[in-house]
Amino acid sequence: MRYVVFICLSLYLMSFTGCSSKVEYVKKENVIFEKQSEEEIEEDAFLDEFEDEMKVEQKSDPLSGYNRVMTNFNDGVFEYVLAPVASGYQTVVHKEIRSSVGNFFHNILYPIRLINNLLQGKVKNSGEETGRFIINTTVGILGLFDPAKSYFGLQAHNEDFGQTLGFYGVGAGPHIVLPFFGPSNLRDALSMYPDSLANPVDYHDDRGYNLTNSYGESLFLKAYERVNYVSLHEGEYEKLKKDAVDLYPFLRDVYEQYREKQIKE
Amino acid sequence: MNNIEKNKLRNKMKKIILLIVSLFILSQNLVASEQTILKDHFLNKIEEVIVIVKDKTLEKTLRNSKIVKSLTPMFDFTLMAKLSLGKKWKTLNSSDKKEFVHLYVERMKQSYSSKLDAYSDEKIEVTKVKQPKKNRIELVTNLISKDNKLEISYKFYKPKNLKMDKDSWLIYDVVILGVSILKTDKAQFREYLQTKTINDLMTQLQSK
Repeated sequence: MRYVVFICLSLYLMSFTGCSSKVEYVKKENVIFEKQSEEEIEEDAFLDEFEDEMKVEQKSDPLSGYNRVMTNFNDGVFEYVLAPVASGYQTVVHKEIRSSVGNFFHNILYPIRLINNLLQGKVKNSGEETGRFIINTTVGILGLFDPAKSYFGLQAHNEDFGQTLGFYGVGAGPHIVLPFFGPSNLRDALSMYPDSLANPVDYHDDRGYNLTNSYGESLFLKAYERVNYVSLHEGEYEKLKKDAVDLYPFLRDVYEQYREKQIKE
Repeated sequence: MNNIEKNKLRNKMKKIILLIVSLFILSQNLVASEQTILKDHFLNKIEEVIVIVKDKTLEKTLRNSKIVKSLTPMFDFTLMAKLSLGKKWKTLNSSDKKEFVHLYVERMKQSYSSKLDAYSDEKIEVTKVKQPKKNRIELVTNLISKDNKLEISYKFYKPKNLKMDKDSWLIYDVVILGVSILKTDKAQFREYLQTKTINDLMTQLQSK
């Protein structure tokens, strides 16, 4: 038993001396070459510890000039058109109804979520999405309600083609701010087309199944969906905006970080 | 070597292994309890905040200042201010450093208070506790409202020496839906400072 204690003790001591001698060495060097106060050195070392963790890569932003202009345009559209319309709509239409409208649009976009879940091999999520669609379309009266979540605990799994591409390692490409749609990047902007083909609300001339009769109709529905969405998320954009020192890079980084997280999931 | 000696050695080996294993288990437990302590402390704090939020007799500004006061020991705003400037921080003179930290902290509190106004009966649950390093713990939480779930991560570090009026574990970053507050600020400030000066940035922060 004595041996055991001895071994442990010496192991402990060794690790301690190892540490302290290292610190001593670093300190000495700094004192000689930089003449910093001990406190400063300690703080520098401490901050450096976080520096790696908080590293933010500065990506090239070739379209920044255009993006800035478009960000201001979208901001104006939001402030002077979308927000006032949504707030008027909000006072007229009860929240429960608006929430059901939101549910309806979410439910009808099931094909996009299914396809992209399948493309990423997310079998369980695809199953849950399908279960949600069946329950909400029937019991939930054409998707107006969400009993799948409230009674069956089935969560939605939002996936789009941009995420699918990201899942297979396709990089984001340069950031692009789209008119009306807002922040995007090359990958996500191009992905809007395949998703649109699976979107029942969108109108495609050469597609067999169209819920809408013309481009105009589908555009109107999408604008309405947007107004409805904004009315349900009142003040969120304004609050987010407050944290920005400079709006364009702020929205850009928020978007890119958010998409990265979505892709990882 | 005869059999008796062999047996003795074997026994000794057994003891050593047992001791090492038990030490290992003990240290694991210590780590685990550190995580639970922090988690419980965090949830208690949240509980405290919710009680204040639900107190309808309080006036809004008073309520918000009360909440900020209750949460301040858990946050290292000063560190966040320093990290948000990255390498630029070291180049600031001491009066600018002081001023910048002050402005940054005020901005943080302001931003947090404005977000509190939107609170209505959400619940917070801790879904994961990660400890990537000995002195780092990340609490992954869900902010659950009636029809939404918001993932918010709180990143804590443990300072070497306990700070005045501060907890032993301190938050240095908050990650909302994958968007790190600190990283976003850092990128913003860096880009801003490429064309403008630190004084411009401070006036900008002040005007918010």
